[in-house]
Amino acid sequence: MAYFKDADEVYAYIGKLFEQLAEDEELAPKFRKANTIVQYQYRDPESQITVKLIDGEDGRVDCGETTMEPEVVMSMEADTAHRFWLGKVNVTVALARGQMKAKGPVAKILKLVPLTKPVFPRYRALLEQDGREDLLEAA
Amino acid sequence: MEAGSALDRTPLRGFKDFYQYAGTTRVIAGRDLLSSTGFEFQKEGARRVFVVTDEVIRGTGLVEKVEAGVADGGLEVVGVYDKVPQDSSTHVCDDCAAAAKEAGADSFLAVGGGSVMDTAKVADAVFTHGGGAREQEGFFLMPREDDGMGRPLDTAPLACIPTTAGTGSEVSMAAVIKDPDEKIKIEIADFPLFPRLAILDPETTRTLPPKIAAATGMDAMTHAIEGYVSVDWSAHQDARSLHALRIIRDNLERAVQRGEKDEEARGNMLIAANLAITIALGSVHAMSHPAGAQFGVPHGVANAINLPHVIRHNAAGSDDIADRYRDIGEIFDIAEPDIGEALASHITGLVDRLGLPTRLSQAGVPEDGIPALVEGAMGDGTTLLNPREMDEEDYAELYRAAL
Repeated sequence: MAYFKDADEVYAYIGKLFEQLAEDEELAPKFRKANTIVQYQYRDPESQITVKLIDGEDGRVDCGETTMEPEVVMSMEADTAHRFWLGKVNVTVALARGQMKAKGPVAKILKLVPLTKPVFPRYRALLEQDGREDLLEAA
Repeated sequence: MEAGSALDRTPLRGFKDFYQYAGTTRVIAGRDLLSSTGFEFQKEGARRVFVVTDEVIRGTGLVEKVEAGVADGGLEVVGVYDKVPQDSSTHVCDDCAAAAKEAGADSFLAVGGGSVMDTAKVADAVFTHGGGAREQEGFFLMPREDDGMGRPLDTAPLACIPTTAGTGSEVSMAAVIKDPDEKIKIEIADFPLFPRLAILDPETTRTLPPKIAAATGMDAMTHAIEGYVSVDWSAHQDARSLHALRIIRDNLERAVQRGEKDEEARGNMLIAANLAITIALGSVHAMSHPAGAQFGVPHGVANAINLPHVIRHNAAGSDDIADRYRDIGEIFDIAEPDIGEALASHITGLVDRLGLPTRLSQAGVPEDGIPALVEGAMGDGTTLLNPREMDEEDYAELYRAAL
């Protein structure tokens, strides 16, 4: 059974994490050096988050439909995304196994992977604050 | 950091949680094989062959020998595309695919170096599945059965005859080409890109200039060393990497210095390059890619220069990493306690004897180019696979040391 019951739950946690990162004074400028628009397309439940990471511009996160044109598209099960933000997914392995599929200049996204290190505890805290130990334990 | 995360430095010994190894290309190696190209390629389903090459290779007369070999097997050469540049592009791949369609081809035969072979791979994907070269970009995204989750659909048969001993593209499932409109390099990797056949015949490198033999040989050596110490190591690739290094130890200098006179050394270097290739690389490649893109440093030359500096840096990172370099040191009879320094010095000496530059400044890289190079290296996918975690300052220091 999937961890998230519907798209709204995906947006409430993973979407919210992206929104927090977009406003983070220390991390946001580093992520924006990727200079790209990336769209995460999730399955089970079907959902989509589009993130603008353009150097020198304000960040933007669209949960669901968007007018932004993505340069990189990453597709995966929402469960894989959840496990990634808990620090439990190795991106290179996930790409090799086809658990994550990447379309576009993937190097721009791989560049960001080391920056995600301090984000894992934040995601965990986000779930804890909301009393979602079930999501922590399930993964 | 949590165990198993994307950022863990994977242990370099023991039984791994996961690795994947594939090598589906039939390799034939030996003397006088070009004359049986058709006989061998027929076994892969080829009938109407479209040859992909470049003008330089065609000018050596090698393509004519291959064409004769194709015809001798009862196959037909329906066209020869010799417009592949040194650094191929999406436009070239589209043009090549269209020419193959126009010629009524049913298979591709690449005769050349990495650029030619990668062009043939991408052109084959466009030829088979339609669309343009730009649309092929991505990892494991080629069309599959069962709504994209099943077995990848076959492409037209592709055979490769490498004319340098370095790239290993003849047995890899990856291709890298330039998109000149967006001024970026795009990567395509999936199982159908494995050529069906690779023919390794030292006749193809007989007239290779010594400088190119040296640079491409150092590229193969870098693949072998980086593949062995990468966090994406595997027991399968370990075996290939270490044996490739033994062959390189015994043949690289001979192949460069004796060239045309030493068929055995040239043949063995083709095999070494073939064994060494892997997509599990590290910071040497992360540093060399931007040096090539921004300052035109030939890939093998950049690898030869950067390799010793990365070895010193990585070996100082942990005992685990140093131990992997010790395994490599054994092959070269190096057993000093400071393995990083000893192995790095050995390689610098080799590079010097091969007549290649040992400093990036000798290859045209200016000091004020370092910040942009650092940004390029940090953005290169191979950085994630280096055994020691890298940051901007690490790369800046390494580039300064290599300058």
